[in-house]
Amino acid sequence: MIATLAYLALGLLLLPALAPLLAFLKDGRAGRKAFLTAIGIAALLLTALAAYVLYTGTQLLLPLYDLAPGLGLTLLVDRLSAFFILIIAVVAFAVAIYSAGYVEHLKSPVRKNLLIALMSIFVLSMVLVISAKGMVGFLFSWELMSLASFLLVNFEYEKKGTRKAGLYYLAMTQLSTVFLIAATGVIYAQTGSFDLQRVAFSSPFWASLAFLFAFLGFGIKAGIVPFHKWLPYAHPAAPSNISALMSGLMIKVAIYGLVRFLLTVLPPGPVWWGILLLTAGTVSAILGVIYALKEHDLKRLLAYHSIENIGIIVMGLGLFEIFSAAGLHAVALLALGGALFHTLNHALFKSLLFLTSGSVLNATKTMNIERMGGLSARMPGTAALFLIGAVSISALPPFNGFVSELMLFEAFFQAYLLASPYLQMLLVIAFSVFALTSALAAACFVKAYGVVFLGVPRSKEAKEAKEAPRSMLAGPAVLAALCIVLGLFSFQLFAIAGFSFPVPDLLVVGLLLLAVYALTAFALRNVGKRRTCETWSCGYPSAGSVAEYTASGFSEPIIRIFDAIFLPKLTVEREYHDGQKALFKRGTAEMRLMRFFEEYLYDPVARAVEKAAAFVARLQDVDLDLYVAYIFVSALLLIIVARFLI
Amino acid sequence: MNWLFALYFVLNTAVAVALAPLLMGVVKKVKAWAQGRRGQPLLQPYYNLAKLLRKETVVSSNASWVTRATPYLSISVLIVATLSVPLLFLPGKTSAFGNVILFFYLLALANFFMALTGLDGGSTFGGMGSSREMSLSAILEPLVLLTFLTLAFVFKTFDIFGIVGTTSQAGIFSVDPVLILLGAAFFVIIVAETARLPVDNPETHLELTMVHEAMVLEHSGKHLALMETAHAIKQLLLMALFINIFLPFGFATQPTAASVALSLLSFLAKSIILAAAIGLFESSVAKLRLYRVPGFYAVGTFLVVLTIILEVFR
Amino acid sequence: MIDPVFALDLIKILLVLIVLSAALIITRRDFIALTSLYAAQSFLIVLLSVGLFAIDRNPLLLIIAAITLLSKVVIIPFILTKVQRRLKMKREIEFSHLSPIGAILLAVVAFFFIYALFSGILSGLDKGVLSTVVSLAICLVFMGLIIIFTRKQTITNVIGYLTMENGVLLFSLFVAELSLLIEVLILLDLIMLIVLVALMAFGIDSSIEEFHSQLNVLDRWLGREQR
Repeated sequence: MIATLAYLALGLLLLPALAPLLAFLKDGRAGRKAFLTAIGIAALLLTALAAYVLYTGTQLLLPLYDLAPGLGLTLLVDRLSAFFILIIAVVAFAVAIYSAGYVEHLKSPVRKNLLIALMSIFVLSMVLVISAKGMVGFLFSWELMSLASFLLVNFEYEKKGTRKAGLYYLAMTQLSTVFLIAATGVIYAQTGSFDLQRVAFSSPFWASLAFLFAFLGFGIKAGIVPFHKWLPYAHPAAPSNISALMSGLMIKVAIYGLVRFLLTVLPPGPVWWGILLLTAGTVSAILGVIYALKEHDLKRLLAYHSIENIGIIVMGLGLFEIFSAAGLHAVALLALGGALFHTLNHALFKSLLFLTSGSVLNATKTMNIERMGGLSARMPGTAALFLIGAVSISALPPFNGFVSELMLFEAFFQAYLLASPYLQMLLVIAFSVFALTSALAAACFVKAYGVVFLGVPRSKEAKEAKEAPRSMLAGPAVLAALCIVLGLFSFQLFAIAGFSFPVPDLLVVGLLLLAVYALTAFALRNVGKRRTCETWSCGYPSAGSVAEYTASGFSEPIIRIFDAIFLPKLTVEREYHDGQKALFKRGTAEMRLMRFFEEYLYDPVARAVEKAAAFVARLQDVDLDLYVAYIFVSALLLIIVARFLI
Repeated sequence: MNWLFALYFVLNTAVAVALAPLLMGVVKKVKAWAQGRRGQPLLQPYYNLAKLLRKETVVSSNASWVTRATPYLSISVLIVATLSVPLLFLPGKTSAFGNVILFFYLLALANFFMALTGLDGGSTFGGMGSSREMSLSAILEPLVLLTFLTLAFVFKTFDIFGIVGTTSQAGIFSVDPVLILLGAAFFVIIVAETARLPVDNPETHLELTMVHEAMVLEHSGKHLALMETAHAIKQLLLMALFINIFLPFGFATQPTAASVALSLLSFLAKSIILAAAIGLFESSVAKLRLYRVPGFYAVGTFLVVLTIILEVFR
Repeated sequence: MIDPVFALDLIKILLVLIVLSAALIITRRDFIALTSLYAAQSFLIVLLSVGLFAIDRNPLLLIIAAITLLSKVVIIPFILTKVQRRLKMKREIEFSHLSPIGAILLAVVAFFFIYALFSGILSGLDKGVLSTVVSLAICLVFMGLIIIFTRKQTITNVIGYLTMENGVLLFSLFVAELSLLIEVLILLDLIMLIVLVALMAFGIDSSIEEFHSQLNVLDRWLGREQR
């Protein structure tokens, strides 16, 4: 029964892949609606399925297809998979609703159909990755996911920069697969099986090697600093509903892989695994948010926040490893719970933010927040939804982002239980960076919401913006409602799930807030007169949007404070009329923020690769006979090597 | 919710709301004395609030609902936050209040919306204020949480009720005299969070110096009254935390009528003395340039980390 | 006789306040505040040695207290103030190598490693107090070094040097042989005094480098001042 439902859901997800055939129909709009409904229903089915597995703890075994004996595409859904399937299903449901309105603004019907088809394949591949039983199925679906998302990143390929983003993305994602294959190789060499089960390693060296490969592979895909550069290129390049899927879900799939390896595949690790994870997470979190602060492209800003939040999740995993290695299982569970809950929360509010910013993009035709403003009056629904997402991601109570960050903070607070003072100091440092990150995120979203939605419009397009159609409000509204519910009822939900985390009862807090708010508003409703008037500008007539504070102005103090990280370079060129440099003719001044990772990591690597490629190219540039000779030599070499191996 | 908690709820909130403007007045009075002026009457803040409530409320035509909702939101957030800081006695364990992170993030919630109202009017001042406020409060956050991390190292708890429960019985310096450092750091936090010199100047309306005032510049009438009350409550709460952790003499260990009354009196005395100290401190320092404020916080952070190192390597 | 536990607590508090004063010296820029902070720091050391006398009853401690009071709380700050009056500048304008925030974070890092080292070595000897004292004293020396290399002005360099010397004094109050030390101390202080007086006599107004160039080229400072 349950298995049938699961097959049905997967089948429904596969169905919209036929969407390009709609081109033969006259309009196809109804067909697209039907296909999106299929995705929605499949998502609901998967939600129910995941909830069932989560609640009962049964394992679901679903054989799909055998490539060869022992290389089967078999699905196995346990509680961990079910949790991630739940995340995917919920977000996919909201995105499906949103897309009904969103795809219609694309120009050609072919594009519209293609987007839906690719989207369904993308969602399906993510579900398959998460429920894969063995590494073969895992890697197969992983590549399917990478290819689908690569095509989606390149969807608007005629735009400048998109193809570069696509290539960047493809290179990074393939690099991640290379490491994953290496990890699989290590595991296979140890066990002779591709199954994702607990592996008995012959020595700690092999376990650590597998861990390192898995960390690199999943880290690249999740966008951990310093492998993060593809994220701010690829996510904004994709259509907004796909950005929501990529930023909300796909990088979570990488987190799933990491958690799967840490929890069920690898043995309990030495403490340095935890230290590595914690350090990587901390660095990603702080750099993500600091780069986000200077970003004025709304979607790129959100992409940098994904790096930050992935950092926070990895930080939680690091804490889990550290506390587990010390034998403090209660705290370790708290950290793991925080990390996983933050994964869910981030999927919800980040998709919400990407979807609403997609609506903003559609309404204003620009992603530069310096050209927005005053949208709250023009798109009140979108503004309110974005605000809910902003408050959640800023980790403010009583919303969901707060609860998961609170759990991580509480895990940090118990650093005094650790034995080694050096480890304690490491946690203290990570803790203070985490506190800074979370506060900077709030600053960044004050900027994002304030500059985009409040104040006076800064351009004609912003002035004429129109509210998004109903489906583009309904989709995000589902996510926004979940953000609130998961925040308010977190205490109760954990109680139902059987965890006793020291989380304050936010329902009481929320209700009290509401009660006091209502009481004050009621008590003061008739006090004093009210008048609407122009903003006070020291008695001068209002200068409108020119006098308004800009996004660059807003983030300037933080950039100044953290100039050691941005390393702003000021270049001034002046021309003078005279030799004494007294009469100024003209000049330019430019302030550029250094792109540290590009200039010092990516570019040198790229140059090295190019050099190697130039060397190889010499071998390539020959006649046909020599090619045959190459084949002969390599075949012979293979046989010689095989002789010694077997 | 038992009767004790109900009593706690009523008393704590009432004391906080009633006393908060008085402490504002005390600080102002002490500053006036230090400058050789007679100063305003001690109860002037109350008169100001009464006056503001009678005045017209002007809202900018650019403003969205954020500006109109934030004053009520601020006051409700601060009143809910009050429940996490026991002023007179401890109500026993609750599932919802007393969490350090919850307390400070509630303050951050109020701050977040206040900063949004700064941008809502579309004026230069408001944006400047919220930009500065968010930048400064962001770099203050590590100091605030590190202070409580240190307390967690000392008291093995991150619950305000738990910390106050221990200190009210034993006093903090009996644990370790080094914790006086934390007191100094906490003083930095109070000064910074309540927008006082040398971080911010509460008396000026000059674009070069103001941070907090710039954000509430657009508010008037009852909205301003609510914002000012919320700010005063915030100051009182931070002072109360300082008092109950570092100077807990007289705090009621048992919720009997006599000891609670004594606790109220001692809290009144201590908070007035602390407010006077803040006033004197403000009079003795000059406003720091905006980009020198992180240095001021760095001193506080230095002290806290010093304490942590001393605690970690015990 | 004072209760020894209470006295130890008192000593710890004084130590902590001394380090606090050094932290403030690292961040402040105006010369007047720097001088008074230095005087306050020295006064704390005086109090500390009096406190130690209350426990130890070693009269040398009182002598040290008296000398310190005279030289470092009264005379040196007085001379420094005099020098400042002659200068046109009131505060440090720029820092070299590190901002004050970086400097103070560096001080924390230094303290961490010093403390980690000494708490390991000395934990068997005493219940934490000795390792606290030793590492705070050495930290003070390091902070003095930090002040010296992050500042450009001669005056602040001198204050950095004086802070270092306070660290040495603090260290020796608890650890080293006393009688020999006093001699060294006085000697050091005298050197400082001479240097200061020399500075005043030469009318130096800026950095060490300029001081040298002024010594070489006499006529440059005879007539007019540089800035």
